[in-house]
Amino acid sequence: MIPLTSSLLYLDDVHVAFDGFKAINGLSLIIEPGEMRAIIGPNGAGKTTMLDIITGKTKPDSGDVLFEGGLDLTEKDETEIALAGIGRKFQKPTVFESQTVRENIELALAGSRNILASILYQEGEEDYERITQILETIRLDHRAEELAADLSHGQKQWLEIGMLLAQDPKLLLVDEPVAGMTDAETVETAKLLRDIARTRSVIVVEHDMSFIRDLDVKVTVLAEGSVLAEGSLDHVSQQPEVIESYLGR
Amino acid sequence: MISRFLFKGLQGKIGWVAGAILLLSVLVPFCNLMLPESHLLYVPDYAVSLFGKYLTYALLALALDLVWGYCGILSLGHGAFFALGGYAMGMYLMRQIGPRGVYGDPILPDFMVFLNWSELPWYWWGFDQFWFAALMTLLVPGALAFVFGWFAFRSRVTGVYLSIITQALTFALLLAFFRNDMGFGGNNGLTDFKDILGYSLQTGTTRAGLFAASAIALAVCLMLSSALIRSRLGKVLIAIRESESRARFLGYRVEHVKLFVFVLSAMMAGLAGALYVPQVGIINPGEFAPANSIEVVIWTAIGGRGTLIGPLLGAISVNLGKSWFTAALPDYWLFALGALFVAVTLFLPRGLMGLFSGYSTKSGKSGNPLTRWLPFLASDRTGGKDQ
Amino acid sequence: MFPIRLLLIGALICAALTGQVSAHHEDLQPKIQALAAGSLKDRARTVEALLKTGDSRIIPVLQHLAAGSLYVRKSDGLVVLTHKTGASYDATAPLTGEVTAGLAKRALKKIKANNSLRRRIKKGLSLFALSSPEEDERLAAAQTLLTSKDISILPLLETRLEAEQDEEIRTALLEAKAAMTLQSDASDAEKTAAISILEEMGGRQAMSLLSQVEPLLSKAVKEQVLAAKGRLESERQLWELLQNGWYGLSLGSVLLLASIGLAITFGVMGVINMAHGEMVMIGAYTTYTVQTVIQSVAPGLLEFSLLFALPLAFLAAGSVGFAMERGVIRFLYGRPLETLLATWGISLFLQQAVRTIFGPTNQEVINPSWMSGAIELGGLSLTLNRIWILLFAIAVFAALFLLIKRSHMGLQMRAVTQNRQMASSMGIRTPWVDAFTFALGSGIAGIAGVALSQIGNVSPNLGQTYIIDSFMVVVFGGVGNLWGTLIGALSLGIANKFMEPLAGAVLAKILVLAFIILFIQKRPSGLFALKGRAAQS
Repeated sequence: MIPLTSSLLYLDDVHVAFDGFKAINGLSLIIEPGEMRAIIGPNGAGKTTMLDIITGKTKPDSGDVLFEGGLDLTEKDETEIALAGIGRKFQKPTVFESQTVRENIELALAGSRNILASILYQEGEEDYERITQILETIRLDHRAEELAADLSHGQKQWLEIGMLLAQDPKLLLVDEPVAGMTDAETVETAKLLRDIARTRSVIVVEHDMSFIRDLDVKVTVLAEGSVLAEGSLDHVSQQPEVIESYLGR
Repeated sequence: MISRFLFKGLQGKIGWVAGAILLLSVLVPFCNLMLPESHLLYVPDYAVSLFGKYLTYALLALALDLVWGYCGILSLGHGAFFALGGYAMGMYLMRQIGPRGVYGDPILPDFMVFLNWSELPWYWWGFDQFWFAALMTLLVPGALAFVFGWFAFRSRVTGVYLSIITQALTFALLLAFFRNDMGFGGNNGLTDFKDILGYSLQTGTTRAGLFAASAIALAVCLMLSSALIRSRLGKVLIAIRESESRARFLGYRVEHVKLFVFVLSAMMAGLAGALYVPQVGIINPGEFAPANSIEVVIWTAIGGRGTLIGPLLGAISVNLGKSWFTAALPDYWLFALGALFVAVTLFLPRGLMGLFSGYSTKSGKSGNPLTRWLPFLASDRTGGKDQ
Repeated sequence: MFPIRLLLIGALICAALTGQVSAHHEDLQPKIQALAAGSLKDRARTVEALLKTGDSRIIPVLQHLAAGSLYVRKSDGLVVLTHKTGASYDATAPLTGEVTAGLAKRALKKIKANNSLRRRIKKGLSLFALSSPEEDERLAAAQTLLTSKDISILPLLETRLEAEQDEEIRTALLEAKAAMTLQSDASDAEKTAAISILEEMGGRQAMSLLSQVEPLLSKAVKEQVLAAKGRLESERQLWELLQNGWYGLSLGSVLLLASIGLAITFGVMGVINMAHGEMVMIGAYTTYTVQTVIQSVAPGLLEFSLLFALPLAFLAAGSVGFAMERGVIRFLYGRPLETLLATWGISLFLQQAVRTIFGPTNQEVINPSWMSGAIELGGLSLTLNRIWILLFAIAVFAALFLLIKRSHMGLQMRAVTQNRQMASSMGIRTPWVDAFTFALGSGIAGIAGVALSQIGNVSPNLGQTYIIDSFMVVVFGGVGNLWGTLIGALSLGIANKFMEPLAGAVLAKILVLAFIILFIQKRPSGLFALKGRAAQS
């Protein structure tokens, strides 16, 4: 495979419309390996739809979506994209509630996903250690054997991030990770994401400005399905178009 | 590795239950054949057949529970797989009649002679061999499940849509098997069987043998299911039930996993049907009726879906109830069954198994006993994930 | 004054037709007497002779013979027309009209006729009817002549044609003449003209007439017959296509009626109501009950019992639906599979309840006279009850559509389905909207039951026959889309009926089911899918 670009994720002139409503309208975005990027934008700007396109849930009407230079994501489904190394956290925390915290991480653990391998899988020492390590990272080691349903909202968010870590992806898509979290939890989460970003690329979609400030990364502002501005938070928040799109015309 | 996998299936309660069923497979025939009728523990002939039938129902419910209870696929067409297995066995039994039929044709079953058919249709070939028929009782339902599931799961038909089209599937088969020119005896189905593997179906020994076979099949399938559920694949199944898209974004081929368990379950249902037919002596298109399939769902729900013992318990207790009602208060059975459907969904979402057992500790809403027993008191519209 | 003149004209025409009436006057009495003697064969000859006289006075004689009320009076051997009054008979002498009342049965001897004789008489009398003063009778007579093989009456037809003024009767006469011309030894030119007349007539009868005469014709004319038959055949196929289209439309309207309530409960609310078919059943049984009550209380209103049944069925099914929603379904929102099971349980319950109250057998619901019969439209036969049901289905659809799109309640319904929390915070009492929406869907199923009671059995299993089809329609059309339900119902109905002649009724149904199963897998959200984030959540 000849790499077309050196970037990790490459979106160029992507369009998608639902019943005539242009959800994504000429969106272009480039994420470099090891980069953490924050995406902000008013409601309906197309943030979640963009994540849907990257993860194969929605097929774009036109445009290129390339991963690691050569992999055309528009032709792959969710499973293939996940296996290629893109992990995603949903807006609403989605964990397997009737299984324990440890089982949740175990299911996410990288490894063969085929049926026979799943039937014959035996948890080795190494996997056990790895799970324990992830549980420590997400500060849930003391609740490993409890059902995921019994976790608080913020803890579920963390568990979901932990599952993404276990998946060992090259690119992590995180949709509103601090919604419904206390201030302390928010600060912790920012720290956690910065830790994670040392070893892989991360895209964070968030509304919480203080959280974005804590992350201290390059920011992309989306509005009406395309990029409005890019740069540091201070830079973009002074641009008149950005202010206008947030406050309305 | 495989043996370790199977051994896992024997751990805990399931091992005891499977053992108990195996014990029954010896004890009941013994009590029927060896003890005098006056003996306290004597099991009468009719009871052997009746309970043998219940065991096949239990196996059918177990099969449904694998897909519904564990993987969240509510099939309203499992009766179709059961009936197909039954027909495969029925075809073998038909061929065994040989020249003893009313028309005395050595090859053609009576209904074909009656329809003036001159030769056996190709799809009846090989059914004079037991091994072939036995294979078909698994392969035919399995193949149908594979084709159906392949399309359905790949195009992500889920939830009630899937339920509705499985119902349409069994309904279409019902209509098809009613047709005389399908070559399966039309309205009357297949019946008047004489013997199986050379043993007359009328003797007590054969009946006891069939009972034992049903019990062994149930025990083996129970162990197999248990091993499967305890494996990582079992966790994946539950993961799919809880959040299909999460499982997909974790990199699992959800459609393959679903297809695997659906086909496995269809084969178990086919096996149950194959054991059912020689014990009741008839298979007809009525087995495809959508109502039958839904009844299986209620057995599973009453026993407790998502548990392995629940479906067994449900199938046997509901059918005991049915036998009692249809004898004592025939007009009220449907009232009772209808009420059961409503009561279980409203008051006992975890079934009888939820009544016993420490399942409450595994529940998120274990605190208030009132809401535990009457969950609708705590129900809200946003809560509750179903599939 | 007027009737007398008419009679005179009739008599004149009669005279013109038969010419020699008076000349054979004296011969008539012995000919009538001859009926009394001999075998059936002799009697047939006598009938022929009588018909040949062309005397209208033989009409009552032959009519009585055909009806079995022509007797011989034993006392004097006179052939008499009898009329039974109580236990005795009144006898009339055929020519003089003299009446002898109160004869005992043993004073008479019956003159027997067989079926072939009766047919002959009927045909023969139709010639007389050609000159009847009543237009209806003349038309009927002309039409029966069409299949007559007796070419000897051709000249007679010519005479009649000259006298006939009515266009319709003339056409019928011309057609009959054409049919006879083809059987006669007329010239090829005349026969060619006859062929085009028959072709114009069209229909199955023209086809069979042409086929019958085909072997008798010369080569040149035969070719024309073949060509005409070819054109008639393609015309017939066109009519058949239209007829199938009508059957399909009719089935589609039944499907629409059965599923339209479901489009509300399942399509709009997302509630899987497996007892939907039982709502239809309740509507049908309401119709039956209303009819039974009216029959005993006010039989004069029986014709209009359906009009009383409609609102009552809506109320009956609607209130059962209301009770279901309040009692069971509202606890199960967000759990569609449990809803499915619980409503299935309710359906069993309702079926058994109806079985207990009304018995397990089919109940008969009478079709009012304004719904019986059929309309012939070219080669189409449209039964009135089907037409009414089609119109009714469209009316129900339109009413529902307006209710949802235009009324305040419809607005609330749409608001609740789109965003429950928001609707509730804007002061809409969402639980009541749910209950009334469900009751509305059920009530519509109930009035569908009124219509469906007119074309099928009313039995406790009525609902079961419709439930799977209804779900198929709603799913096929696209959930949450009323237009989808309309298009889905009609296209499934038509597809079914067009496949029936090719594959047979059962196989056609199986094929349609298989098609839908495959279709849903290709397009899980049906024909008219909702798109975007709303559809995915």
